[in-house]
Amino acid sequence: MNEIWKYRELTWNLTVVDLKNRYQNTALGFLWSLLSPLALALVLYAIFRYLFKQEPNFAAYLLVGLMTWRFFAVGTTSSLYCILGKASLVTKVYIPRQILVLSNVLSNLISSLLEFVVIIPILWAVSGSLPPTLLLFPLVFLIYFWFVYGAGLLLAGLFVYFRDLNQIWEVLINILFFLSPIIYPMAAITEKTMPYYLLNPMTQFIIINRDLMIYGNLPSLYSLALVTATSIAALIIGSFAFNKLQRRFAEEI
Amino acid sequence: MSAITVNNISKRFRLPHHKKNTLFQNAIGLVKRQLTYEEFWALKDISFAVESGETFGIIGRNGSGKSTLLKILARVLYPDSGSFSINGKVASFLELGVGFQAELTAAENIYIYASVLGMSRRETGAVYDQILDFAELKKFEDMKLKNFSSGMYARLAFSTAVNCDPDIMLVDEVLAVGDEAFQKKCALKIDQFRDQGKTIFLVSHSLEQVKELCSRAALLNGGKIISYGNTHKVIDDYRQILL
Repeated sequence: MNEIWKYRELTWNLTVVDLKNRYQNTALGFLWSLLSPLALALVLYAIFRYLFKQEPNFAAYLLVGLMTWRFFAVGTTSSLYCILGKASLVTKVYIPRQILVLSNVLSNLISSLLEFVVIIPILWAVSGSLPPTLLLFPLVFLIYFWFVYGAGLLLAGLFVYFRDLNQIWEVLINILFFLSPIIYPMAAITEKTMPYYLLNPMTQFIIINRDLMIYGNLPSLYSLALVTATSIAALIIGSFAFNKLQRRFAEEI
Repeated sequence: MSAITVNNISKRFRLPHHKKNTLFQNAIGLVKRQLTYEEFWALKDISFAVESGETFGIIGRNGSGKSTLLKILARVLYPDSGSFSINGKVASFLELGVGFQAELTAAENIYIYASVLGMSRRETGAVYDQILDFAELKKFEDMKLKNFSSGMYARLAFSTAVNCDPDIMLVDEVLAVGDEAFQKKCALKIDQFRDQGKTIFLVSHSLEQVKELCSRAALLNGGKIISYGNTHKVIDDYRQILL
């Protein structure tokens, strides 16, 4: 942790490089990147709006769910390539290797927060009003961030040794997508499976964000405690595994 | 005081009989009992010390473990046993321009590369002009790196690295970059480093260079130090094993 702090300027530089490369140095580049999730939201809305009539304000429901999910999906998938994609920073020079993942997740966090800023007017348009609790959503991302970072560390470290992990992860993340309440209403889950269903941390993050951004409810202490505990656990497990795995990175790349 | 102290370092590489780098292959390998590997000791029980302010050379044939040793000191590889300590700010020159971004300008890249080498933004700002002047690239500061020639690229990288003011330099072959005039400048810079009492740890194939620069040296053969001390004596021993 101390080492990472010492290299905070490099971490920040790599984050900025990431963002610049992603958006080709233009504001328009950022808007282009929004096109695909918004198009997906639009298509899903067109298809499912009649199916899930019981969900009032389905458009907002869908939008917040998808955008919350996106940080996890893009953040973890891009983390896979952090070590292999920046091989010279691993094999030719010493830096704490965690910062390769950290800067990637940071740049994704910034993208995600910007995306939310852009969809707020859309939410306002489809809901008619915005709840004041909306202002609290960045705090959720403060917890969410460490969850994605922990998962990213584990994935980035394992991918160096197991090069088919990207395909496996693609399958797993697709399954997790349907195990989280993104495109269907929570009412679709039976009462019996609900306790298990709620154990999925992604479900919790999505519910909290919807509560804050659409319904104007503060999250319960229980779900806050659950997501905080999951994030801390992910961070600890990810850091520990990464530390073990990174010892032979330079040999395996 | 010693700048670098190395105590009983050993490094082992695993050479698997069947290379497997996917989960799928590992699962199949487990069933077929093919997860065996051979061990190869690249370094065995290496100990030496480099005094502060000296230029120390490591020589040896290909595959003798020179680069492995350098990479361990640069903290890129981890030793399997033993330990080492380094007193002072280290710059490792295993490759120049690590982290350079083709899509960004020379100015942006100076700050990025300097931060890779552990410099803060403020420290870099203080030597920023010096870096561009030394590289003779002041005119091109706002040009994207992808439009640089390879010579310009190397000059920018070298200049950034040497202006980071390290106490100890780990060098893989003496860096000969740019045209002859620039190479002379590099040689002068190296001399200047030595005059300032900085430590240089050099791995090289060129016996001439080692003889010229290093006061002491070590000879690696098969992962062991077989000769250590006065450069002339070590080079004579090297010529012996080459026969």
